Amino acid sequence: MKKNPERKHKYYVLGFYLLLLVSWQLFFSLNLIEDYLFPAPADVARRLWQLGTEGLLWPGIEATLVRMAIGFSISAAAGLVIGFLMGMSRIINGCLRSLFLGLQTLPTAAWVPISLLLFGLSDHGIYFVIIMSSVAAVAIATSDGILHISPAYLRAARTLGTPAYAMPFHIILPAALPGIITGIKLGWTLGWHGAVSAELIKSSVGLGYLLYMGRELNDASQVIAIMLLTILFGLLLDRFLFGLIEKRIRVRWGLESNSYS
Amino acid sequence: MEMAANPEPTLTKPATPQVKLRIEQVVKTFQNATQTVEALQPVSLDVYEGEYVVLFGPSGCGKSTLLNLVAGFEEPTEGKIILDGQAVKGPGNDRLMMFQEHALFPWLNVIDNVMYGLKWERAYRFRFRARRKKAVELLEMVHLTEFAKASIHELSGGMKQRVALARALAPDPQVLLIDEPFPALDALVRAKLYAELQDILVRTRKTILSVTHDPHEAACLADRVIVFTGRPGRLKAEIRIDLPRPRDINDPQVAEYARRITAELEESNEKEPGTKA
Repeated sequence: MKKNPERKHKYYVLGFYLLLLVSWQLFFSLNLIEDYLFPAPADVARRLWQLGTEGLLWPGIEATLVRMAIGFSISAAAGLVIGFLMGMSRIINGCLRSLFLGLQTLPTAAWVPISLLLFGLSDHGIYFVIIMSSVAAVAIATSDGILHISPAYLRAARTLGTPAYAMPFHIILPAALPGIITGIKLGWTLGWHGAVSAELIKSSVGLGYLLYMGRELNDASQVIAIMLLTILFGLLLDRFLFGLIEKRIRVRWGLESNSYS
Repeated sequence: MEMAANPEPTLTKPATPQVKLRIEQVVKTFQNATQTVEALQPVSLDVYEGEYVVLFGPSGCGKSTLLNLVAGFEEPTEGKIILDGQAVKGPGNDRLMMFQEHALFPWLNVIDNVMYGLKWERAYRFRFRARRKKAVELLEMVHLTEFAKASIHELSGGMKQRVALARALAPDPQVLLIDEPFPALDALVRAKLYAELQDILVRTRKTILSVTHDPHEAACLADRVIVFTGRPGRLKAEIRIDLPRPRDINDPQVAEYARRITAELEESNEKEPGTKA
C-alpha cells in the first residue's frame, strides 16, 4: 500500500529537477536572458570543470570539510555534555534552554563580525563560528532526548539493579540516542552554514572563499558553481550520512517502521 | 481486610510454607494540587515461598499501585512491605518487575538484554563468560536460542515478552513481579505463552506476584487469586485455584474458576453502596 505511491513520488521529484535544469538552459538558448547577467547551466558546468582542473576546487572543499570536522567535533562534544547536564537538572535546563533558544534566533552569519573582533583572521575564528552556530542545537536536542526517554526504560533499569553511577552511560545516553542524532544532524547543517559564512570574509581557502573570489572577479558562473557544490556537500552529509544513521536508530528503537525491508 | 495472613497451607505447597513477601497494612494516597486520592485502603497480604499470586480487579482498583509499591518505585503512605523479614526500600533486583510494555533496551541485542541485569550482581560483576553462559541457558529455556543476536525490533510481540521473562529471571529475583504480563497479544500466542510460563514456573519455583484484569489468565496461572475492588482499592476475596499444572487456558475447569473470579468481583461491586463487604 505504502510503497507504490512513494516510488511514484520519487519520479515526480526527479522530473521536477530535470524540468528546472532544462528551463534554466532554455532561457539562454532562446536568448531571453543575456548571459552576462546570469550564467547558463552549461557555463556553470564548464567553470566547475575549469576550477577542478586548475586544482582550486579540491583544496577548497578539503579546507572547509577539515574545518567542519574539527569545529563540529568540538561543538558536538560540548553540546552533548551541556545537553546531558540540562537533561539531568531542571535548574540547569531552565537557565540554559532560554539562553540557547535566544541564541538560535541569531543567523549563523551574525557570529562572523564578533569572531573577527575576537580572533582576527585566524582559523580559530572559523571554528568559533561553527561552534556557536551549532552547539545550541545539539545541546537542546540532547536534553530533549533525555527528557523524553520512555519512563519504562528507567523503571526497567532500576528494577534490574542498575546503580545510580551506571545510569548515564548504560541507560540515559543510549535511550536518548534518537534525539541526540537528530540534534547532531541539525547541528551539522547549521555549522555548515556558519563555516561557509565565516570563510566568505576571513579565509584564503575554502568553499566560502571561492564564493567570495567569484564575486570579486565578477564571475557569476563560479558563484553559482560553488553554491551548488556547497548545497551538494551539505546535502550529502546531512541526508546520506546522518540521515541514514538516524533512520537506522529510529527503526531499531521502534520509533519508525522498517520501510526498506 | 481481615483476610490478612492465611495460615492454611495450599494443596500444591509443602506442608509448612514460608512467608516470602508480607504486605502489612499498606495504605497509599496520592496528592496533587487540588485533591488527595486514596489509591489503597489498608491492605495486608502474605505471599508464600514458591507461590503464584494474582491480583485481579478492574482498572484503577489499585492493584498496579500495590505492585509498584512492592517493586519500590513508590513508597507506601502507611504500612510496610517486608521481603524475607526485611522491609524493602527502593527498587532492586530482589523484587524484579516485568512490565506491560516489555521495556527491553533497543540499544542492546537479545542476549545482551538478558545479560544486562547480571552485570550488577556481585557474583557476575566482572565475569562476562559466566554472564553469557547464564543468558544462553535462559534463552534456551524460552526457546529463543537462535535469536540471541537479533535486535529487539526484529522480534514479534510474544518473543519480546519471552526475552523480557528471560531478562527478569537472570538475576534470580526473590520475587518476580509481573504487571499485566501478556497484553495485546493474539489468543494463540497467549495460550502458548501461558503454557511456557507455567513450564518455567514449575522448573524455577519462583515466587510471583502478578496483576491482571483477565479472569482466564488469573485462573490459568495463579495458585491464589486476590480479588480487588476499586476505589479506593481493597481486597475483597481470595480464591484458591486447586488445579494441577500445567493448565490449559481453554480447560473447562479453568473457565469455571474464571467464572467464579468474575462473579466474586461483580458481587463485591453490587455491595458497593453499603461499605461492609
